[in-house]
Amino acid sequence: MDIEQRQSELIDQFVKQASAASNTSAISSVIVDATSHPLLFAFSEILALPNVLQLEATDEKFYLDLLRLFAHGIWSDYKSNADRLPQLVPDQILKLKQLTVLTLAETYKVLPYDQLMQELDVTNVRELEDFLINECMYAGIVRGKLDQLRRCFEVQFAAGRDLRPGQLGNMIQTLSDWLSTSENMLVSIQDKIKWADSMSEVDKKHRKEVEEKVDEVKKSIFKVGWIYFYCFTSLEFFILKYIDDIMFR
Amino acid sequence: MASSSSSGLTFKLHPLVIVNISDHYTRVKSQMNPTLAPHNNATNNGGDGVVSSLPPPRVFGCVIGVQKGRTVEIFNSFELLYDPSTHSLDRPFLEKKQELYKKVFPHFYILGWYSTGSDAEESDMHIHKALMDINESPVYVLLNPAINHSQKDLPVSIFESELHVIDGIPQLIFVRSSYTIETVEAERISVDHVAHLKPSDGGSAATQLAANLTGIHSAIKMLHSRIKVLHHYLLAMEKGDVPCENSLLRQVSSLLRRLPAIESGKFQDDFLMEYNDTLLISYLAMLTNCSSAMNDLVDKFSTAYDRHTRRGGRTAFM
Repeated sequence: MDIEQRQSELIDQFVKQASAASNTSAISSVIVDATSHPLLFAFSEILALPNVLQLEATDEKFYLDLLRLFAHGIWSDYKSNADRLPQLVPDQILKLKQLTVLTLAETYKVLPYDQLMQELDVTNVRELEDFLINECMYAGIVRGKLDQLRRCFEVQFAAGRDLRPGQLGNMIQTLSDWLSTSENMLVSIQDKIKWADSMSEVDKKHRKEVEEKVDEVKKSIFKVGWIYFYCFTSLEFFILKYIDDIMFR
Repeated sequence: MASSSSSGLTFKLHPLVIVNISDHYTRVKSQMNPTLAPHNNATNNGGDGVVSSLPPPRVFGCVIGVQKGRTVEIFNSFELLYDPSTHSLDRPFLEKKQELYKKVFPHFYILGWYSTGSDAEESDMHIHKALMDINESPVYVLLNPAINHSQKDLPVSIFESELHVIDGIPQLIFVRSSYTIETVEAERISVDHVAHLKPSDGGSAATQLAANLTGIHSAIKMLHSRIKVLHHYLLAMEKGDVPCENSLLRQVSSLLRRLPAIESGKFQDDFLMEYNDTLLISYLAMLTNCSSAMNDLVDKFSTAYDRHTRRGGRTAFM
């Protein structure tokens, strides 16, 4: 969320610049500045400005397309449409690759190195890892773990890109699914708590019953045993007395 | 008397202060109780179950802390004696205590004073003015000791004094200020410990399980209510009731992307392995218990019934 805070000032600055720009070349230079700025990843505010949208009609239309590409597209989109779009400076290439990583992180949580290398046009793993670490993680747009053994990148957090028009509906659907799942979970937890309580009640009752039975049996055995003990020891006494009598008479 | 403050100071309150004040109040209140008991026994006529006919005692003390620019951070507090005859706090005692605390905490200054009660009163202004020579704008921390189960937030309020012109006369009145709670790591540990106090006879596994599940339940409930707020907001944004705020949408989308939080195959493997381990251990423990009970039973059986076969074995009868 701190990315948004960092970006908000930049966004305001560029929006002011773009609304102040009067002619198309000024607007297109603002667009080029915005897309090459190393800390700016959000372009929908600039896209929403009326005089930026007016570029649609002019012959500098491809700058608007470029802005749209940076807002929603990825590196392979650029490669397929390279002839219709202006040449990108290295800063912009880097930013577009970062945005590509963000888009990929949107759909998969575990990104295999092969797919990343293909999407980003990177040939070896070392370069890919350098790119991920230096450009993505240190910039703070992505957080995750690099698993070299399984050759994949586990994404834990990825910054948000600009929303495509249909995405809002998906997000609302996801939120309502999350809500219903947590409601179900709450109900099942309550059931478990009730079950735990009732089980402990049953256990206590059982324990009490067993204790009572033991007490009863103890009492009855005590009486019986006392009689038995008394008879046995008196029997023993008489036997010994008899032996004594026999022995010493 | 209390409107909202306009001084622009931000207050940060440490939990230690709240615990100190409530401890002070509880001690004084419980020391009052032995005198109440014979009093209640003596008055049998007409006295039904009125527990304490005396009003709850008011305790007073001083709060200390640090003021950096516009931020006032209240760290600690200590008790003071209140002299009901002069309606003022015991000054020499205050100064002695202040000196002692200065030696231990050289950075802390007296920021104000505290008391208990339900609302700030007129007589409090005397004490407030008396403290104004130590600190030109003291704060008044008020703790409401009445337990209100429906109240969600802390019964602590912080008042400042402001000079308002009422009926042509400039008067100092108390105005309420907002505050945030700030914790140091040690405070967080102790507050956590108190919050998780199990009942003293909670030795049985079921009550501990229930307590644990209750904790999880309340955590999920809070998460649920917050997600609901987000959901409503997005729905309103879709319908067009609220203007689209892109940075918020971006944050929500990044949040939702974290969502299948524990879903990968590796998690399932680890989870099932741990689950099986736990089941195995409890099974082994149960087996051990059963075999030891069996062993005891066999010992008792052999003692009881072998005695029967051995005639002539003398007990300690004589």
